[in-house]
Amino acid sequence: MTDIRATAADAETPEAVLDIPANPPRRALGLHREIDRVWRNAPGWWGHVTAVNHTSLGLRFMATALVFFAIGGILAMLIRAQLATHEGAFLDTELYNQIFTMHGSIMMFLFAIPMLEGMGIYMLPKMLGTRDMAFPRLTALGYWCFLFGGLIMLTALFFGVAPRDGWFMYTPLSSAEYSPGINADVWLLGVTFVEISAIAAAVEITVTILRQRAPGMKLTEMPLFAWYMLGTVAMMLVGFPPLILASVLLEIERAFGWPFFDVARGGDPLLWQHLFWLFGHPEVYIIFLPAAGAISTIIPVMCRTTIMGYGAIVAAVVALVFLSFGLWVHHMFTVGIPHMALAFFSAASVLVAVPTAVQVFAWIGTMWKGRPQLKLPMLYILGFFLTFVMGGLTGVMLAIVPFNWQAHDTAFVTAHLHYVLIGGFVFPILAAAAYWMPQITGRVRVRGLGEAAFWTILVGFHGTFFIMHLTGLLGMRRRIDVYPENPEWVWLNLTSSIFGFVMAIGFGLFLLDLVLQARLGQRSPRNPWRAPGLDWSLRLPAPSYNFASLPGPRHLAGGDQVALSLSRGQGLLPGAPRGTRELLVTGIGDARPDHVAILPGNSHLPLRLSASIGLFVLFMLAGLYWLTLPALALVAVLIWVWGRGMAWGADLPPIEVAPGMTLPVHVHRRKTLAYTGAICLLVANGTFFATLLFGVAFLHVVAPGWPAPPMGNEDLGSASLVAGAVVALGLGTVIARLAERARLAGHAVSGPAVAGLMVNFLALGLIAYLAATAMDDPTRHARDALRGVLAGYIALHALVVSGFAAFAVDQWRRGELTPRRAGCLPVWRLWQDYSAAVALITAAVVILQGAGG
Amino acid sequence: MTWADWSTRFLALSLAGPMIWAITFSAVYGLHGIGCALAWPEVDLAFLSLHRLAMLAAWGVGLLACGLLLAWLPAGARMRVWLPRAGGWVGLGATFFTLFPVIVTTSC
Amino acid sequence: MKRFAPLAVPLLLAGCDGPASTLAPAGPVAAEIAWLWWAMLAGAAAISLLVGVMIAMSFGPPRETSTRRWTHGWGLGFSLVVLTTLLGAGLWVGERILPRDDGAVEVRAHAFMWGWHFTQPGEGDNMVETDGTLYVPVGQPIDVIVTAEDVIHSFWVPQLAGKMDAIPGRENVMRFQVDSPGTYRGLCAEFCGLGHAGMLFDLVAYEPGDLPEALLPNEPAEEGAND
Repeated sequence: MTDIRATAADAETPEAVLDIPANPPRRALGLHREIDRVWRNAPGWWGHVTAVNHTSLGLRFMATALVFFAIGGILAMLIRAQLATHEGAFLDTELYNQIFTMHGSIMMFLFAIPMLEGMGIYMLPKMLGTRDMAFPRLTALGYWCFLFGGLIMLTALFFGVAPRDGWFMYTPLSSAEYSPGINADVWLLGVTFVEISAIAAAVEITVTILRQRAPGMKLTEMPLFAWYMLGTVAMMLVGFPPLILASVLLEIERAFGWPFFDVARGGDPLLWQHLFWLFGHPEVYIIFLPAAGAISTIIPVMCRTTIMGYGAIVAAVVALVFLSFGLWVHHMFTVGIPHMALAFFSAASVLVAVPTAVQVFAWIGTMWKGRPQLKLPMLYILGFFLTFVMGGLTGVMLAIVPFNWQAHDTAFVTAHLHYVLIGGFVFPILAAAAYWMPQITGRVRVRGLGEAAFWTILVGFHGTFFIMHLTGLLGMRRRIDVYPENPEWVWLNLTSSIFGFVMAIGFGLFLLDLVLQARLGQRSPRNPWRAPGLDWSLRLPAPSYNFASLPGPRHLAGGDQVALSLSRGQGLLPGAPRGTRELLVTGIGDARPDHVAILPGNSHLPLRLSASIGLFVLFMLAGLYWLTLPALALVAVLIWVWGRGMAWGADLPPIEVAPGMTLPVHVHRRKTLAYTGAICLLVANGTFFATLLFGVAFLHVVAPGWPAPPMGNEDLGSASLVAGAVVALGLGTVIARLAERARLAGHAVSGPAVAGLMVNFLALGLIAYLAATAMDDPTRHARDALRGVLAGYIALHALVVSGFAAFAVDQWRRGELTPRRAGCLPVWRLWQDYSAAVALITAAVVILQGAGG
Repeated sequence: MTWADWSTRFLALSLAGPMIWAITFSAVYGLHGIGCALAWPEVDLAFLSLHRLAMLAAWGVGLLACGLLLAWLPAGARMRVWLPRAGGWVGLGATFFTLFPVIVTTSC
Repeated sequence: MKRFAPLAVPLLLAGCDGPASTLAPAGPVAAEIAWLWWAMLAGAAAISLLVGVMIAMSFGPPRETSTRRWTHGWGLGFSLVVLTTLLGAGLWVGERILPRDDGAVEVRAHAFMWGWHFTQPGEGDNMVETDGTLYVPVGQPIDVIVTAEDVIHSFWVPQLAGKMDAIPGRENVMRFQVDSPGTYRGLCAEFCGLGHAGMLFDLVAYEPGDLPEALLPNEPAEEGAND
């Protein structure tokens, strides 16, 4: 047993050098044709429906996000038109409220998040030296969910029933009582639908970064962009579940009357605020980190040098990932929380500026170290510096409690958040667009237009938002449509409005530049910036398969020679001789080759699955609650079909990836990509559960309407039902292990699998019986409503693990579980363990709560 | 096993410091909320109220844990060794900085 | 801090007046916060300038420069010194303006969609209820207890103090004080639906010896909405 600290070997011995011999060279064109035939999308219209390729989908994510950006921008112009004068009669209040709510929601959920997902999905496989994301069909599923969720929200806007309670949806304003109609439901269901794509992207980006890096690309030496994205997706896995939980609870309250936020029945509107900002503040850093990753990539290239302080930047990312979860209360400084609690969050909000400062100064240091060149990406980066530094400084001001009490909910905050989001996200994205467009289109841009767009956007932006700080300090509140009593704000608002339109023209020029470049640009040389790294070792525009042969340890620096040798098949796993989409799966740390994964090809299953989820959402919106059950059944069936697609009928022979190096195919490995993905999903799921427990504790301790009324049917009988369900799920964990043991010994797996199915069904039955006979009416009090949710959560898990057991039975029947093939058993075991654990914790919580009154 | 080499240890150790901060921060914030709800500030112990004492104790444990972590981790310039220590410092600094209001501000 | 104000700021303040301006404070709480703002503005301007100069100086031939100086010196050291100072100042001001048990005048503000109902002391111990106008004496600390009828609102008189949210089921307390008699603009600062923009009120400050008519007995304002 070695010391679990970094051992002496870590500190001193030279790194073991991974050397993999080269494959024999082939003709690049022939190789290209062979591999493109396997990886490319189907031709024509159908190809768009069935595409799962990360280059296509990454671009599609970004293009769709740009369309939403344009729509959100038009809404912003309507807001500015309304506010240009103090008696604006341009929009009525109802419409104005819908428009500012949709402006915020679109920019956050339909522009920023999908844009960064698209950037990660498009860039990461190219930078890490692989051919696709870990779960291509999941990429497509995420896209369709994003698109359909966005379309639902847009349709609502078109018909004048869009959400109108602000993008933060504070309850009770968004409750059924004060917001009747479907407006609020559109937000809750639409955004949650879109968030499926965020969780999907987070899972697969994590797996891709950890397990698909080119052999020899150590975790500690991977491109900074990958570190930034790893931080981002880790935050998404932990940050989105609170929002999803909050939306689910509010939707249940609206639809079925279960109180969670209704103060008269033991709920608390502050619970919504806590859950919302527990997501909402990390969200800001989720948006900023990928942009900072792009900056860390572009600055060294523009300055002809290497990045300064790699280690310090990684440490800063780690610090940001954690600290950003300790700031959320600074959105709630005025809700009446005691000063000491405010002080904790004030201190954390101030402290988060430190890792940000470390990065900013490391970037400036990099510029000192090199020779900055004022090319277009660098211009945008200067715009970023100017804007983001000022936004950061006003952010620190807002972290100071007394000042926040004055500035909160005024135009000062509007100005601040636009400085941070446009400075910290949009300018870097524009820099990234200028930098990577040649790779996307294979063309160079038309001279001059980009610079014109930059200056117009810069002048327009600062003209709009700089004076808005003053507007706020002069007392202008957010979200008002008229200000007849304050003529002193007119010149400020009019100026903001005029420059707002200048900024809009700037973005128009930017879009025009993109279109002209794609249509009319000259062909770009292969690596126009003379940049290092694998992402510029591709043929331009990027081909469907990225690398005709995969880079190995000697290719990591990139460059022309590397590009040539990879395109001639001298790297690993050249071409597609078996007619399947193959890539290398490597170890997390040293990136040693572990096995070959065969990815699924083009498929319309993602579209069908997301459409059936969409059907569920539409039935919920329409209030046809009984019809949601068949929709959910359809979802379950399609997930089963999806799982079938992961199971391979026949054993597959090992594959020679390089002379003398033969690797097994993923079906013969226990720790596949899917296994790692299942762990990531459980992290998100665990956060969801932990947040739910936070909700129980919060209401119990803080909400005014407690203690709850006495429980009706709390007796030995119901306690034994709970205990029975826990024991049944616990038995399942033993059975899942027995199933694995039987498989390894070559015995029949069917016995344990059927037993697993039975105990999980038993658990499900016990919970259902408990709910039907012994539980108090969940509409009575928040405690009973929360118990209902907890029971539902455990029941859902009992159902999921029943599904795994049933799938194992099916796999055994088909002969897919052998001593050499683990099938679904490892993932079943993970989920069974998790389900048993949450059931046990839930039972303990319910008992404790019963004992404590 | 190749897929989980030194990386598991490396990632766990690198996140240990910030994780201690996260746990201490949640614990002190939780104690603050529970204490205010149960009127702990009214319970006078020798020099402090029960409320402040409970929070100070949790804070102290967090600081101590970060200190021990830093004392235990070896030093070195290689990223694999360096980042866990940097994480330890992040944890220590953040625990100190974000929770020092326990000493100076009004509690409920 | 008021004593410094007359020296440096009148010129700056010329553009900062207005009935809802946080930069035209009319009481000690708002004055403390305004002072904090001007200090932070000066600091922020200096830091922006510093970063701007650093960036401008980076243009030119490559040069040797120490990584530690940037990441540890500027990144950690400089930022921590500035931020610690600022946080200290913020907490100090925050502590000074908190309500405490010192016999301050207590008034109640009850928010509803879309208006305000106030309860304040009139003659003697007599509490008077009013709609849309809050009456307070000058020169004494006032604790306003803020409550809500329906959705979340927020009590804000920019010239006097920060905001305090009115949340169903809770009683929040905020302190302020008015220096001189007059009428001040009050607003609802938390978005509360269709009537949000128009949800205004007046705060009338009077000399303690000179009770306004509305607070004298036999006023119709006495029969406000019950709560």
